[in-house]
Amino acid sequence: MNNFGIPVTLGQPPDGEGSVQVLEDEAIVGRAKVFAVYGKGGIGKSTTSSNLSAAFSKLGKRVLQIGCDPKHDSTFTLTKCLVPTVIDILESVQFHAEELRPEDYCYEGYNGVMCVEAGGPPAGTGCGGYVVGQTVKLLKQHHLFEDTDVVIFDVLGDVVCGGFATPLQHAERALIVAANDFDSIFAMNRIAAAIMAKAKNYKVRIAGVVANRSVETDQIDRFADAVGLKRLAHLPDLDVIRRSRLKKCTLFEMDTSPEVELARAQYMQLAAALWAGAEPLTVAPMRDRDIFDFLGFD
Amino acid sequence: MQLTVWTYEGPPHIGAMRIAASMNAVHCVLHAPQGDTYADLLFTMIERSERRPPVSYTTFKARDMGTDTAELLKTRVQETYDRFRPDLLLVGEACTAELLQDQAGGLAESMGLPIPVVPLELSAFSRQENWGASETFYQIVRRVLHAQVPAPGSAPRAPVSERCANRRPLANLLGATSLGFRCRDDVVELTRLLDSIGVDVNLVAPLGATPADIARIPEADFNCCLYPEVAASACGWLERMFKQPTVKAIPIGFGGTRDFLREIAALTGIDVSAAVAAGTSRLPWYSRSVDSTYLTGKRVFIFADATHAIAAARICSEELGFKVVGLGTYSRELAREVRAAAARYRVEALITDDYLEVEAQVAALHPELVLGSQMERHIAKRFGVPCAVISAPHHVQDCPARYAPQMGFEGTNVIFDTWVHPLMMGLEEHLLTMFRGDAEFHDEATPSHLHSPAKARATTPETVSVADSSPAADPAPAAGVVWSPEGERELKKIPFFVRGKARRNTELFAAERGIQTITVETLYDAKAHFGR
Repeated sequence: MNNFGIPVTLGQPPDGEGSVQVLEDEAIVGRAKVFAVYGKGGIGKSTTSSNLSAAFSKLGKRVLQIGCDPKHDSTFTLTKCLVPTVIDILESVQFHAEELRPEDYCYEGYNGVMCVEAGGPPAGTGCGGYVVGQTVKLLKQHHLFEDTDVVIFDVLGDVVCGGFATPLQHAERALIVAANDFDSIFAMNRIAAAIMAKAKNYKVRIAGVVANRSVETDQIDRFADAVGLKRLAHLPDLDVIRRSRLKKCTLFEMDTSPEVELARAQYMQLAAALWAGAEPLTVAPMRDRDIFDFLGFD
Repeated sequence: MQLTVWTYEGPPHIGAMRIAASMNAVHCVLHAPQGDTYADLLFTMIERSERRPPVSYTTFKARDMGTDTAELLKTRVQETYDRFRPDLLLVGEACTAELLQDQAGGLAESMGLPIPVVPLELSAFSRQENWGASETFYQIVRRVLHAQVPAPGSAPRAPVSERCANRRPLANLLGATSLGFRCRDDVVELTRLLDSIGVDVNLVAPLGATPADIARIPEADFNCCLYPEVAASACGWLERMFKQPTVKAIPIGFGGTRDFLREIAALTGIDVSAAVAAGTSRLPWYSRSVDSTYLTGKRVFIFADATHAIAAARICSEELGFKVVGLGTYSRELAREVRAAAARYRVEALITDDYLEVEAQVAALHPELVLGSQMERHIAKRFGVPCAVISAPHHVQDCPARYAPQMGFEGTNVIFDTWVHPLMMGLEEHLLTMFRGDAEFHDEATPSHLHSPAKARATTPETVSVADSSPAADPAPAAGVVWSPEGERELKKIPFFVRGKARRNTELFAAERGIQTITVETLYDAKAHFGR
């Protein structure tokens, strides 16, 4: 249905099966470079996002990280605590968003990175995607995209619905985090398909893959070559990354060691490459059955 | 959202129009359907503006909906530029056009006009007029000054006192707009006030400013955020980007004006003690004078934009000796400040954009004076309560030809007159006691200036039930309480402007003690009780 209540039945919906979304203004984000980080659940999106935010801040950029997951644990390594979410704060003003101010829900974390957690309804209820859409609207009205150099959206697991795809309407480049295993590559394929669908109407393009928590990258690389993806960074399965989460800090605050140096260098080079401008990729995702046959050790 | 026949604020594009109409050499193109042009009348008829607001509309019609409305917009933008040759163009959408998703601002921006084009995203369905004005002003300031923002790491701006070591400090007066309450006179009054302490005004914006003036904003040493509803967003940005400090005290009322001067003194190092001590305000003495003692304890209800509501509550409570019984605002963006102010007067703030809620509260609280917008004037008139208008939205009679500021010391004089006259007008207590036997001061008389038709003198019935005799504005009486004829006659000896309070107190007193019929004794017992 469109805004006039007329069913839209003509041809294929422009941005993916079963979803018809209105076009949003592409110019809204102003000058900030916006990145959206996607990937299978538990693969390390938040770890990647917050270390990448820290790396951008080390490059002297003003960074805003927006956690778009009802779990609201995207930014805790930056802020050292679970900050109140936009939904928590909205509840305190009976959802009169007009009463809010940026300082109510926007917290300064490590090295000046500004952190927002969209939050969401209690697990198993409500509509988390709606919350993401409302958060983005609020951030726009409060001009948070305007005086910032880099915005990073850390989005939950998969592109499960239009709401969680909202960041793609604002992002320039999407990053996919994956490990060298079947499940995360399978998820990556679906995410790539969703982003390519969005790219028809929005300026978002796929920047590439961050290989995370994997010693080898052979399966990722084989898949990437087959569909037109590119690997941008490689974080081996380092214990120091696990420990940094437990210490509630980014890698840039850990005591230095060869492992820490290696990981930091990966994040720094990724940030520098993204700032310089990642070449947009044209990806041809596989059909689910094809990828099933494609991946394996034979 | 609910259907309503009247609103405090218009949709946000009205706010954009207010900014365009305030400035010079700025034009606004609104993607809007036929019919939205009615808003021009606000400026020419309410404010008696000499020129039409500089706004052009695409005025799409039903048949355009089947074609390319985006093309219509581009044509209108080009025509507007060719005809008016503004220095800056605002492009936005009225609420109905937002549904078309033509991205008016972005489209116009990409047309390559040789002037700055500011696309406006006005969030028509979640925000309102004042936010629209604030957003438009902010976007203009940002667009014009973006190139001047100091690079990160450049030398920080020197403190104001250091910058002004050898010259008079320069201030910007920000936030005054077309259709704002008395902005025209406020900026004149403040320019004089600042001059008297040795501060020059660099510019006033948006009222009367051109885009070229906006480009000079950073030359000033500080900004005065006079109307936060409109200017707070821009002032915050100037503070972040240019490290240009903001004076936030609102110079309305005697205390407010002195706070404003002191804040400037703290920033600039200027000695303002003489200006603060002298002032040209007659308000403090007038309100202490014998003639005004009866002002003390008057119950006041205030509902206005946040800036004027907060200032009015302070004046009432600290400067006139009134009692604030209700305080509220329709400015939800500043609800927090109003709640904090209300807490100081031990009342709960009313934050709403529904005038019926305001009306219900006026009826329940029984104020003796209502201060508010045009709508509170209507409400007060209906209840026969004295009132004064202190804030937008206002009507043509609140855009007087004479000089009538609200800000600064002269503002306090204007406020004293405007708020006290509805209460007074020859109805001082001693005169009433002296003349209460006179024909024109009969029991049913209402203040002559309130225009409510004088009621015919009723013959006193045998038993007067409260329900029959209480005027419409009285609260529901305590159930079952009845006035005896003697009690009712005695009540009428009390001057009418305190009679309502005496009636309520006596009824409350009787109800609490389970007294069914109020006699003369009950009346005097109650008087003695409340007099303690």
